[in-house]
Amino acid sequence: MRAEVLKGHLDALILAVVADAPLHGYAIIEELKRRSVGSLSLPEGTVYPALHRLEAAGLLSSAWSRGEGRRRRVYELTRRGERELGVRRGEWREFVKVVEAVMA
Amino acid sequence: MSSVYLLELRRRLTALGITGSLRGRIVDEIADHLECDPDADLGDPAALARQFADELGSVRARTAALAGFAGLVVAGVVFSAAFLVAPNGMLRGMQSAGPHVRSIRPPGWAIVPAALEVLFTQLALAAGCLAALRWFWRRGSGILPAAEAGVLVRRAVVGVGAGAVCMVCLALVAVAGRSEFGSGWTGVTIAAAGLGLVALLATLPSLWAAARVRPVAGGRAGDVIDDLGPLAPAGLRGRPWRFALLVAAAIAVLLTVVSLPAGDLYDGAARGIFDGLACLIGFGLLGPYLGLWSPRRLDGGDEAPGRPIAS
Repeated sequence: MRAEVLKGHLDALILAVVADAPLHGYAIIEELKRRSVGSLSLPEGTVYPALHRLEAAGLLSSAWSRGEGRRRRVYELTRRGERELGVRRGEWREFVKVVEAVMA
Repeated sequence: MSSVYLLELRRRLTALGITGSLRGRIVDEIADHLECDPDADLGDPAALARQFADELGSVRARTAALAGFAGLVVAGVVFSAAFLVAPNGMLRGMQSAGPHVRSIRPPGWAIVPAALEVLFTQLALAAGCLAALRWFWRRGSGILPAAEAGVLVRRAVVGVGAGAVCMVCLALVAVAGRSEFGSGWTGVTIAAAGLGLVALLATLPSLWAAARVRPVAGGRAGDVIDDLGPLAPAGLRGRPWRFALLVAAAIAVLLTVVSLPAGDLYDGAARGIFDGLACLIGFGLLGPYLGLWSPRRLDGGDEAPGRPIAS
């Protein structure tokens, strides 16, 4: 899938991935690839600025953790992030329903 | 390879004003990513640094605008409260002669802070409200053009700076009016000015954080019409000077009309024209800096209505 198509949905995709468990940047990207069965071909670097933006917006929180002998920044969904994810899921379902109705 | 990448990323981040612990955090996260996957496609370090600057610049500019406005609201409340608790004589003077500075007879030196207070109150109000308006219309947007982020930060800085001058001048005016209005009001007013000043100073970290980052995203800053968002009449799009003339005329007419009940038609009209002209002069002088109009649009910009900036 083209990167520009994904760009508008990147925030929602990240929130959905982090909703299941706190993850560090690399794991978030890997999880995005895994869930999309490799269809999401996003330049990996673009995820990090998005993570910082979501944290600044209060949708994610982050903290350093130590594992496998190195320091990693782990991201977690906040309450506000949970609410936002719920809203985005609803909007997405509505969007899909409308587009399906038109395209079918 | 990864150390070269990280060094270049660090250099680029520094060049865009991202320094200190935040830069360290970004580099550490990318270093961790490269340790996990040395062949990862992280893109050009310059592009990655620019994306960080654009994201952070947008978020921080919006935060600065909101924080500045919040600080000014507190300052405005204490400023108003100082006059609400003022002695009756002062309030009567305000009602009959307009700005209180005309009604009191302060020592000679006090005329300077009194005049500055009148001027900077209006500047703080205008800059703070404009910052809040632009924040409101752009609050849900993603990356802002660098020019627009700069406008948000400058409005917040000018608003907070002008508000701080007001608070200092208010305290000085209170000291000057001590013999006329009593030490009680002077003490309350100085305390109120101090509280307002503290509220404004509390916004400095967010203003500083926003001013440090240098985003590079392309796009225009917009003008005063964009501050009206979808409420802007279509006929005014791309014509900020026409809008300014309408506002100046409205001020002149309003001040003339409100002077009618007191029978001061000529005085009211003179004040109206003076204030309308002052509005236009302020618009002309500070407009480009505060993103009210763009000098580049003078050459025919008034002929072709501009497009609303992307939201």
